[in-house]
Amino acid sequence: MFKYIVKRILMLIPVLLGVSVIVFLIMRVFSPDPAPIVLGQHATVEAANAWRAANGLDAPLYIQFFNFIKGAVTGDLGTSYYTKTPVTQEIFSRFPATIELALAAIIFASLFGIIIGVVSAVKKNSFFDHAGMVLALIGVSMPIFWLGILLIILFAGVWHILPSGGRIDPLLQPMAASGFYLIDTLAIGDTEAFVDVLRHLILPALALGMYSMAIITRMTRSSMLETLNQDYIRTARAKGVSEGKVISHHALRNAMIPVTTVIGLQLGSLLGGAVLTETVFSWPGIGNYTVECILKSDFPVVQGVVLLIACIFVLINLVVDVVYAFIDPRIKFSKKEG
Amino acid sequence: MKKSKRLLAAVLAAVIACAGLTACAGGSKSSTAAESGAASAADTSKSRAQDTLIYAQGADPRGLDPALVDDGESAKIMVNIYEGLLKYDKDSTKVLPSLAESWDVSDDGLTYTFHLKKGVKFQDGTDFNAEAVKFNIDRQLAPNVTEDMGYAGFVFGSVKDVEAVDENTVKINMKAACTPFLNNLAMCLGAPMVSPKALKDNNNNVNEHPVGTGPYKFVSWTKGQNVVLTRNDEYWGDKALTKNVIFKFIKDNSARVVALSNGEADMIDGIDATVVSQIESAGNKIYEAPGMNINYLAYNTTKAPFTDAKVRAAVSQAINVPELVKSLYQGYADPATSVLPTFMEGYDESIKQVAFDQAAAKSALAAAGVKTIHMITYTNPRPYNTANGQALAEAIQGYLRNAGVEATIDAYDWTTYKEKVKAGDYDVCFYGWTGDNGDPDNFMNLMADKDPTMNVARYDNADFKAMIAKGLATKAGDERNKIYTDLEKKAAEEAVWLPISHGKTLCGYRSNVKDFYYHMTGVVFLSGVSKS
Repeated sequence: MFKYIVKRILMLIPVLLGVSVIVFLIMRVFSPDPAPIVLGQHATVEAANAWRAANGLDAPLYIQFFNFIKGAVTGDLGTSYYTKTPVTQEIFSRFPATIELALAAIIFASLFGIIIGVVSAVKKNSFFDHAGMVLALIGVSMPIFWLGILLIILFAGVWHILPSGGRIDPLLQPMAASGFYLIDTLAIGDTEAFVDVLRHLILPALALGMYSMAIITRMTRSSMLETLNQDYIRTARAKGVSEGKVISHHALRNAMIPVTTVIGLQLGSLLGGAVLTETVFSWPGIGNYTVECILKSDFPVVQGVVLLIACIFVLINLVVDVVYAFIDPRIKFSKKEG
Repeated sequence: MKKSKRLLAAVLAAVIACAGLTACAGGSKSSTAAESGAASAADTSKSRAQDTLIYAQGADPRGLDPALVDDGESAKIMVNIYEGLLKYDKDSTKVLPSLAESWDVSDDGLTYTFHLKKGVKFQDGTDFNAEAVKFNIDRQLAPNVTEDMGYAGFVFGSVKDVEAVDENTVKINMKAACTPFLNNLAMCLGAPMVSPKALKDNNNNVNEHPVGTGPYKFVSWTKGQNVVLTRNDEYWGDKALTKNVIFKFIKDNSARVVALSNGEADMIDGIDATVVSQIESAGNKIYEAPGMNINYLAYNTTKAPFTDAKVRAAVSQAINVPELVKSLYQGYADPATSVLPTFMEGYDESIKQVAFDQAAAKSALAAAGVKTIHMITYTNPRPYNTANGQALAEAIQGYLRNAGVEATIDAYDWTTYKEKVKAGDYDVCFYGWTGDNGDPDNFMNLMADKDPTMNVARYDNADFKAMIAKGLATKAGDERNKIYTDLEKKAAEEAVWLPISHGKTLCGYRSNVKDFYYHMTGVVFLSGVSKS
């Protein structure tokens, strides 16, 4: 197992190298010149040239790329052109928000997705099954921005029972510590603020998690159906094991293997930033920020974020594989397979 | 239960992965947000709400150092923290004393002497004095100026050097006479006075540690979320009425409107005409601020047949500007009769564009042999044209068809459009300008500039340029204002542009907010605003 993990981490290197080449070229070739954006409408040609030189943009592309990689290896992702703040600082002042929302969304999606999927599978072709599948279809089909705006209008605009956006009422905002407000408000024992953070999480997590829930529902249902038709399920029933135990202990546990993969993939994409949800709900995360930086040709930020997201995705897959071993002890990643 | 343990293991593994990822990206970093003062135990969120104004705008500020930013989102926050030597009047862009009590201008216009207010302190306790003024201006002059000081050249480009004559007197020597310099000093970009101590302590960049002399002082900035300000109790003038101000960033326009009606914001900006009834039906108020901008159609004066002023006038004559503006902007833009907004010095009611007369236009264009016109435009909304350039071009196209001329339209996104304008292959283009300093030269120079992306009409007229130069050198007052009125009349006579509209800025605010106003230069001064 340890050897397998090490090997997977080493594979991260060529993946990141490939990703960084791609994002570097896309940004340099297709993005407009950042100088007019950074320097504003009164910039002279001389000032623009001086700025490009100061930021290394007058060097050949391969030298720029080499400098980027050299910095990235040592943890220096450069400085944002637009705000003059180090990229790592910009990313990590926003990433906790993205993580918190992604986790809330995936928890919502997993809990409801698995429950609905199991119910649909066990009561196949019943009303519950059809209702579950319709709900899943709606979740897959509905655009997030429309669902987000709808939720905001209903719960905040009409009924006034939930906040329309943001992470917390600014009057309750805790001192910045971890940047995870659920943790920070718990740590200082501020119950009112903790509840407020939860209230702010509800709508964006719902909007963001709906799609993932739909995917998880369908995967759970099909996986459960396949499992429920296995011989060992029939054997368990023949032994007189209660239906509840058959479903939860024997069937669901095995069905969870492909579901775990889907949950991991969904979490990976959520951690890459949910641009539309973050925009609609004024959620100060990394996805929305990255899109803004793309539009501003802020190369260092975009390159840094994409590199980070690639790391996340690969490592999430590794975690999923490790979790397999907990769910199914037969998966050992033995030397033969390695 | 085994099942719950497995689920817990999965969740914990995900959390561990997240923690590991931060290390992978180069080491964990603490949040950049400054430490907020902890609320006292006696405080409750309800009383804090009463003591706090929440202003929702569309984006983060770029930064809070007035020399290093060039955007409106930064400016709205900075004007509450900083002050300049001069400031604008409330209802016009006339300059008034601020940190400078008075000033003298030498007869040749080459020396400005400012007499500073005494006893003023920066929010960090250091003195505001002549040395502080010199420090602030010197850092934006060669050799100290850096290329990312976007407005340094605009505001201080005509300054030769600065002398601190004594504790409260500053002498500014100019390279050449430049009367707009006074209006420059009232601007919210470049001109505001920053604490020299704060600049030295922060490596000449106070984007995240702003210290000024203004009625509010900086508390914290949580990126992507909000900036918190609190009252400066040592302020030299009228203290702010409300203790705290929070600028909240809500990007989506619809979400900002809901936040207002849901009580999550007290004031919002960046709204458009379509949501006015929604805001008012929820019991909130609308503020319509005049805009310091011009939305216009420009003729390419270097390309036949538009080298001829008569042909240009004939096309302008075909277009019913008031009707077009009313239809396109639903009352939230004013039809333009001049380049200058009406609140600016140099504007006068006697300025008139060629009057709409479709029959006369039709016969004049037929006589000139004009059958087709090539127009280029942009596809996005702009601050001065909320309906977007395509809609505007199509409206114009309709009028031209009625006058017997077929117009072709090529539309591009804004970035590409600017390249097309630079290339110059058009008969007519649509453009606009949001002013910088409230001085008439800032607008009229658009027809004299040598840069074709500023002077998009490519107008090159020696008399016009001579008058522009004279306006720069003439001292402020009636004689100078007349120069710009004359420039306006010449531009109208020559039909260089067809001015179309001055866009208004719409804001919403809750009914318990008193004395809210949005200044025409695009900023909000919140020290006089309160909640009941």
